[in-house]
Amino acid sequence: MPPVRVLIVDDSGFFRRRLSEIIARDPRLQVIGMASNGLEAVTQVSLLKPDVISMDIEMPVMDGISAVRKIMAQHPTPILMLSTWSTEGAKSTLEALEAGAVDYLPKRFQDISDDTNIAHQLLCQRLHDLATNSHTNNLPTAKVSSILHAARPPYATANQTTNGPIRLVAIGTSTGGPVALQVILSQLPSDFPYPILLIQHMPAAFTPSFAQRLDTQCKITIKQAINGEKLVPGTAYLAPGGMQMIIKGTKISSIVEIQTGQSDQTYKPSIDLTLESLIPMCPAETLVIILTGMGADGREGCRQLRPLGATIWAQDKQSSTIYGMPMAIAKADLADKILSLNDIAHRLAELR
Amino acid sequence: MALDSEDEILQDFLVEADEILESLNEQLVALETQPENSDLLNSIFRGFHTIKGGAGFLSLDAMVALCHKGEDVFNILRQGERTVDAEMMDTFLKVLDILNTMFVETKSGEYPSPADPAILAQLASYLAPTVPVIPEPVVTAPVAATVTPNEATDNDDITDEEFEALLNQLHGDGAPGTVTTSPAPAPIATTKSNDDITEEEFEALLDELQGKKKTVAASQQPIIEASIPTAVLTPEIKALSPKVIISPQTANVDTAAKPAAAAKQAETSVRVDTARLDEIMNMVGELVLVRNRISTLEATFENEEMAKAVNNLAVVTADLQNAVMKTRMQPIKKVFGRFPRVVRDLARSLKKDINLELRGEETDLDKNLVEALADPLVHLVRNAVDHGVEMPDVREKSGKSRQGLIVLAAAQEGDHILLTISDDGAGMDANVLRQKAVEKGMMDEETASRLTDSECFALIFAPGFSMKAEISDISGRGVGMDVVKTSISKLNGVIDIKSEVGIGTTLSIKVPLTLAIMPTLMVMLGDQIFAFPLVSVNEIFHLDLTKTHMVDGQKTIMVRKKTLPLFFLRKWLTSSFNPSGKPEIEHVVIVNVGTQRVGFVVDQLIGQEEVVIKPLGALLQGTKGLAGATITGDGRIALILDFPELMNTYANRGY
Repeated sequence: MPPVRVLIVDDSGFFRRRLSEIIARDPRLQVIGMASNGLEAVTQVSLLKPDVISMDIEMPVMDGISAVRKIMAQHPTPILMLSTWSTEGAKSTLEALEAGAVDYLPKRFQDISDDTNIAHQLLCQRLHDLATNSHTNNLPTAKVSSILHAARPPYATANQTTNGPIRLVAIGTSTGGPVALQVILSQLPSDFPYPILLIQHMPAAFTPSFAQRLDTQCKITIKQAINGEKLVPGTAYLAPGGMQMIIKGTKISSIVEIQTGQSDQTYKPSIDLTLESLIPMCPAETLVIILTGMGADGREGCRQLRPLGATIWAQDKQSSTIYGMPMAIAKADLADKILSLNDIAHRLAELR
Repeated sequence: MALDSEDEILQDFLVEADEILESLNEQLVALETQPENSDLLNSIFRGFHTIKGGAGFLSLDAMVALCHKGEDVFNILRQGERTVDAEMMDTFLKVLDILNTMFVETKSGEYPSPADPAILAQLASYLAPTVPVIPEPVVTAPVAATVTPNEATDNDDITDEEFEALLNQLHGDGAPGTVTTSPAPAPIATTKSNDDITEEEFEALLDELQGKKKTVAASQQPIIEASIPTAVLTPEIKALSPKVIISPQTANVDTAAKPAAAAKQAETSVRVDTARLDEIMNMVGELVLVRNRISTLEATFENEEMAKAVNNLAVVTADLQNAVMKTRMQPIKKVFGRFPRVVRDLARSLKKDINLELRGEETDLDKNLVEALADPLVHLVRNAVDHGVEMPDVREKSGKSRQGLIVLAAAQEGDHILLTISDDGAGMDANVLRQKAVEKGMMDEETASRLTDSECFALIFAPGFSMKAEISDISGRGVGMDVVKTSISKLNGVIDIKSEVGIGTTLSIKVPLTLAIMPTLMVMLGDQIFAFPLVSVNEIFHLDLTKTHMVDGQKTIMVRKKTLPLFFLRKWLTSSFNPSGKPEIEHVVIVNVGTQRVGFVVDQLIGQEEVVIKPLGALLQGTKGLAGATITGDGRIALILDFPELMNTYANRGY
């Protein structure tokens, strides 16, 4: 296999050289160019046609977000944002994702792992995966606006789409999730009759901003879940980053419990953990949706919930930014339906 | 644990950080006059951001913490949620000083020590845009100091309730804000209530900040854009200490269309250790000597082919020498860059109003010279601020504008650089200086009265001669004007002062472009060759020895109505001095020594030659008055004279 061709974009020469060194150590990757601002990046992309781009946000001349927007409009390419994991960083990163960037990693590699080697490997792995797994023609850009006007096939009753009456919706996602969630949630009516649990793999610094951002974009209420609060219909609860969201109580009165994430847990929040907590609640009346993302989180939870009667939808390959988690569901034969992002949005909006 | 200061990555970071710190210095001073300049605010924000990024990579946590705060504050500023005031400026400059200290610590291989929590708290207090929060001890709870980055981001140490409590403290009414748990040992709560901004507002703001027009225009011309990558991808031409970057002079425009070539254009500079450049320079020096030698030999051959080849060699050697010299060149901006800050701080503390104008910042000169000139120039500029420019009230009374002006200029003049520091201040009164010289017992009244005005001004360079009655801590600083003169002389430079009472003072410094290769005037004393640094040589003429005069026991000559002391070098430097039987006509070389001109009698003039300075051998090491030795074109050894030292050692007057 020819190596994945990487374009590095950063205004700091120091950082460009470090990234270049790290990437050069991975035989699967090859640095084919570097740009020191967004405008250079746009030019370089059209000349070099890289397989994947690592992109800084703060740059002179043209910032990373504008560059992502331009690149996605001209030469759609998987872009990995290297961002600051702070509230400010969250805002700009989410904006970059909305502009079409596929994924993000912290610029401070200690935020990935204290072991620099692990951090470097993860960076390389991520670049490699994005280049080989993401669907360039299907990168999330522009879908947000166009989908609203897509033709809506009629769904007569909820019974046609789910295995029975529903009390609770749980959506789990990872890479590509922020935009996918935005697409789905922004179509739900304000009187959506069920509470929604959102489990998005995301660092702690990002989830408050993400919840806030979704809330302004959607008719339903979206908030970061708070320990001890009661689930109410028409509200989506985003699992806080670095934590685990567990549901307790009875099926009439369900309470959120936020637990501190353990260092041995791969995902914080973990879709599996939240789903497993639903077993004693109302498994038969739960709709689980697994959206785009790398890995297989959510599969074990679904494996346990499905025999108890839960309905499970998985996003299809064509509309997934990264067809990993939905594929795991599909391959394990756990999905009741495999749907495009559009279909998921419409069917969910029709649920009554 | 100590850092490996030799580590290449660390060095790389230091080079970049150094450059950024320097521009931050300029930008912050500029910000004071144009606090709403969004380009400037963005640029400063990025400066902090970039240093933070690099420091984070190297786990320089103290630096990360400080830059992080600075970045946050400038993020607020660039979004127009707050404007800079004088008090903030002082804080920022303090922050910059701390960063510089951290930088020095890092450079010497130590992890930078954490910044004073007070300054971090001060910065944090700017983050609440409307309510001026007085930093309370609660906010900077000591627990923060022990929080490791991971714990901070994982929210382990602080419960939601505690967060809310902190929020309430900061907002007063518990307004929903977003809390940043700083991933560094810093005050833990950074609150912002700017999250209420809507998407549209944010977009509009973004467009405003990034110059929407520019990007639109660019997208309309994709063809042009694609065909000019070399123009866009300016190679990083950084002239930096302690390393110099060589960038190719010839950017290959033709390859623009080829993607691969374009990719390589992205980084066209190579970092080279200055030690290696010194080595190359040294070897080029040797080559120059060989060329000189061959040129001399060639003259005896009378072979046309040989002459051509030798000429060719001479041309190539000269070109090579020039090219190597250029690689060592740095713009004087490197030194000038620190002056806006110096002048600002000093003027502020003296309550003076001074505008500093910089001219010819792009003038290039040898890296070693740039470094060597820094201290003397700082001293002279501080002097101009302290002694030169008057207080605003005094200026107004004498009919000047309240704001004083200091102009710092650099220009290349042939093979040397002319630096001038001029102020429009009170100027110096020659009579006051004369009187002072007498008071100090440096000379008697008669001698003093005979001094020309410019000789009087030169007195300020004499050791122990202070213009101000009491030494202020400003001009004091342990460096006197005599030290300035000595350091300039060491660089084979000369200083000249012009001053007019009520109009101002101008100091000019002339230094050679490079220290490695020196143009000299070769002379003979007896059968020995000596080299005079050409930069100090003023003029050469034949002297009728009968036209000398004795003044105060010192032989002098009149040159264009100026009396100059005359010295017989052979008396000082050769053992075969024979006073009898001397010719009536001698060669005299007039030389600038510091601010003084003196005449030296020599036996024979050989001519001009470019020489490479070699250190003296062990036997001659430390001999006063000798700067070094060199090999002449005919293979002989010539000693290079150091005039200031020579005068100090042999002449009875201490110029």
